[in-house]
Order: sequence, then structure tokens, then C-alpha cells
Amino acid sequence: MIGGAARESRVVGALGRRGLSVQFRRAQLLMPTFVLPLLVLAVIASGTRAGRDLEAFPEVSSFLGFVVPGTLLQGALLAGLTSGIAIASDIESGFFDRLLAAPVRRSSLVLGRLAGTLGLAVLQAAWFLLIALVFGAHYDGGVLGALGAAGLASIAAIGIGGLACAIAIRTGSMSLMQSIFPFVFVFLFTAPAFFPRDLLTPTLHDVSAFNPLTYVVEGARGLLQGDTALGDPWLGLLAAVALAAGATLLAILALADRARRS
Amino acid sequence: MHERTSSSGPAIAVRGLERAFKGGIKAVDGLDLAVDEGEIYGFLGPNGAGKTTTVRILVTLLRPTGGEARVAGHDVVAESDAVRRSIGVALQEAAIDPLMTGTELLRMQGALHGMRGAEARGRATELLERVGLTDAGGRRVGEYSGGMRRRLDLAMALVHRPRVLFLDEPTTGLDPTSRSALWREVRGLNGDGTTVFLTTQYLEEAEQLAGRVGIIAGGSLVAEGTPDELKARVGEPTLHVDLAEGADLPAARAALAAIGPLVACEEGSRVAIRAAQGKATVPAAVRALDEAGIAVESLEVESPTLDDVFAAVTGSTLEGAAQAAADADPAAQGAPA
Repeated sequence: MIGGAARESRVVGALGRRGLSVQFRRAQLLMPTFVLPLLVLAVIASGTRAGRDLEAFPEVSSFLGFVVPGTLLQGALLAGLTSGIAIASDIESGFFDRLLAAPVRRSSLVLGRLAGTLGLAVLQAAWFLLIALVFGAHYDGGVLGALGAAGLASIAAIGIGGLACAIAIRTGSMSLMQSIFPFVFVFLFTAPAFFPRDLLTPTLHDVSAFNPLTYVVEGARGLLQGDTALGDPWLGLLAAVALAAGATLLAILALADRARRS
Repeated sequence: MHERTSSSGPAIAVRGLERAFKGGIKAVDGLDLAVDEGEIYGFLGPNGAGKTTTVRILVTLLRPTGGEARVAGHDVVAESDAVRRSIGVALQEAAIDPLMTGTELLRMQGALHGMRGAEARGRATELLERVGLTDAGGRRVGEYSGGMRRRLDLAMALVHRPRVLFLDEPTTGLDPTSRSALWREVRGLNGDGTTVFLTTQYLEEAEQLAGRVGIIAGGSLVAEGTPDELKARVGEPTLHVDLAEGADLPAARAALAAIGPLVACEEGSRVAIRAAQGKATVPAAVRALDEAGIAVESLEVESPTLDDVFAAVTGSTLEGAAQAAADADPAAQGAPA
């Protein structure tokens, strides 16, 4: 037997590996997580390119490079949501009971699931950035900027995953989790995912200030374009970490509450 | 090696256990039982009797609303983590992720019990061999048959060499061959010293495996003992004699009455007597009938079954009770856990 912390880290690692490997075996989840964001990117990049000519649009070396942080954000939202769907599926099938009957900390069960989400988000971000690069995106922030942007999106994915897990643990319903899929787009389009915040309508502009993903996507944009005027990376990091920490705590509390109510 | 208990005593001790669900429905109502170390205890009852709720409390998945329960010397509420370290659990329906392979699941289970990579890998290989799934270990569980899933489920419950094993209806839905294979495995585990708490709605399973049987109905234990003890409480075996055509019925009754008390019999060509000695009564009966010159077509000794016991203590047969209660158990219906 091994020490407490090392033991729990093995549990988190094992559950994270499971979460990630099973994700790639569910064909129905691969489409929304790896393909759908690219389709949206293609539509945005080709259909709204003229927006670049607007006076308030910032000077950037490539429009595709400007909008790809929105794709990273969309990937993070979907990775997080699938995490909730997976946990609800485990609850419905009874597999979650197997985990609960093991001598592990309840928090490790949540962290293990979110470790899988983190792994998925990193792979998604690398995939999206690579595809955009192939299709002509310029990343003036260089490799470090790309890594930073991917990192921000991945931390945000943990936050979204934590929220989704909290809902899944509270409800135990896979169909409910699937039904909240459209809210991904609410979060996405109430942040300046594909346009500068100054070009949003006044109402949306005000709403976006309350969406933590606003600061994540702007921070990622600033890193990718190597221009902090487009977004403050540190503010983005703060927003992503706060979201991840708060949502993870919510999920852990939801599990503790479920155990208390049992 | 089994986990050690914090104190000596029964492997499972339950006193006045209660579990009420929303609406005041009591799935478990004042349950008392004790299971000794090294026993196979059969927990028998129809769907809705409270079996699954009891098991879920004992494996720490559900909190009792009254009474107390200790498993491997630990309180299931106050020392739930210690209980979890001591037990192996195979719940109903073998809830196993169909997208994972048998090997992956066993290794993950090993990690959940604190095993390092190499140790978990070795244990997975060992267990796959033990349950006859070595060749299937690399395949996804979704491709397994029901029997293979059950065996894998059992293997997962054994990863950490638990001291007490909970099997909740382990053979429900299995074909006779798979059922026999699982029974053999359970006997083998018990032979190694593992205490087994087995819930079942199959009378044959309880008779085949359990040293002692507890019958639960309406959330309470209504009878408990070895299968033979329970059957003896219901009554003695009965010897049925079918006479050949034209045989003298009154003479046959007189001859057999000397062997044992007559039992009322509806069929005109049949005589029945109490047979306290079971099959040992047959030679004496044959001799008596032969000496009286009575031709016999067939003889049969009928012993009470656990279903008779169930009917005697609950007023209905196990099958009938199962149908009546199928919609009544909140736990079986996935009530809030």
C-alpha cells in the first residue's frame, strides 16, 4: 500500500486515462468534440471575413488566426459537456456505484473525471490549432503563444467540465445532460469568441463582461497574436483558473451532497 | 491476503437496521442478522423484499435511517472507508463499462485499491486466468456474453483480496452452464476463507451455495437457518405410493400406516405417509406392501423445499411474492440513493 496522496494521484490518473480512452471509443462524441468546432470555424472564417474591414476591427495578420481562439473555446465547452454526459452515463448504468464502493476520496472521483477532460481539451486544442495553421492561420505569438492559448482553453475546459459534472451528479440524468448541449452556444456567443468585444451590440457587450469565458478567449487571442492589446493573458488565466477551481469545488460538493442524501 | 478487521466478531453484524425512502416506504424494517467469518450466507427473497437495499447499506452506498450495521468489524456509516477496504462488491446487472477491455477494467480497479502499475497488471493477469477470461482480456466488455461479464464482475470484486464478498443476484439471467461455473468459483473463494454474502431469488442457488439462509420479506428477516433446518421446520418428507391398477387401496393404507402416519391424498390410487427418515423409509414401505401382496406402480419421497419454507413463513410462494412486489421496492426501482 502506498501513501495517501500518491495513492489518490494514482486513482486520479487511472480515472483520467479511462475517461480519455473511452472518449475516443464513443464515435458519437468524437464528431461534436473534434469536427463540429472546425465546421463552425470554417463557416465563421469564410462567411464573416468581411468584418475585418470594419473600422473597429483590430489590425491582425490573419483573420483565421483571430477567430481560432473561439474554436478553442468551443472545444473546451464541448469537452467539458461530454465529461458531464459521461458521468451521468456512469450513474445511470450503475458503474458509478462501483467507483463509490472503492476506498477512495470522493474528490478523487471528480478530479479523475476532470483529468480526462483536461487530456481531451489539450488534444482538441492542438488539433484545432494545427488544422487552422494548415489552412493559413498566422500565430504571431509563436509556439509559446500557441501553447499558452491551448493551456488557457484546457483550463477553461476543466471549469466547464466541473459545472457539467456538478449538474450530472445532482441529476444523474444523461438525457438532461444531452439537452443542455445548446447552452454551449449561449456561453460561446455571449463571449467575444469570433469578434472583438467592441463590435458586439451594446447589450451583448455588457453581458459578455459577466461571462468568464470572455477573458479566456481574449487572453488566448492575445497570446496567439502576440498582442496583449487583443486580450490580457494574465486576466484570461485568472478567469480560467477561477472558473476551474470554483466549478471543481461545486462538483465535489455535489458529490458530497449526493452521498449525504443517500 | 485479506484485510484485517479492527476487532474480532462476526464478518457482518446487523441490528435493527432500517431504511425508509421518501413517502415513508420502509424497504428495510428492523433487520437483524449476523454472518460468521468464512460463511456463505444466502439472503433469499423476491424482488422488492429489501435484499438490494440491505446490500447497498452494507457496502456503504446507502445510509441506514435506523439501526446499525458493521462489516468486517467496521461501522458502515462512521467507518465507511475501512468497510470499503475490506469488501468486494458485485452488484446486480454487472455494471461494467462496455467500452473498456477486461484487462483495463481490472487494472483500473487495482488502481482504485491503491495498487501500483506493475502490481495491478500482475493481479489483472492472475484474475483473468482464475475466471477463465485470459483470451478475452484484451477485448471490449461490450463483446462479452452475460456469463463472461459476470465472471469479470466477480474478478473485479476480488482485485484487492477482500475479506467479505457481496454478490447481489450474481447469476440472474445466466444460462445453467454459466451459473454452475460461477457457483464453482464462489465455492472456491469461500474455500480460501472469503466470507460471502449472497443475495438471490433462486432457491436452488441458496441450497447449492449457502451454509445458512436468511429469508427476507417486507424488509424483515422472517426465517433463518441452514437449508435443512428451515425445511425441517415446515414438515417431514412425504412418501407417495402410486398403486398398480386394481390394487387393494384399504389394504395398502393399512400396510403403510404401520410405517408412518397417513397423509390425506386426493388421488384414488395413491397413498401417502409421513416419512421422517426420508428415503430410508422406502425399503420398509416396499417390504410392508410386498408382504400385503399389493402391487405398486411407483414410489416417490417428496421433501419440503425452500419455497415451502418461504410459503410457510410469508404466506405466499417466492414466485408469487416476486410478482406482487415487483413494483414496490423503491431501491429496485432506482429511488434516490
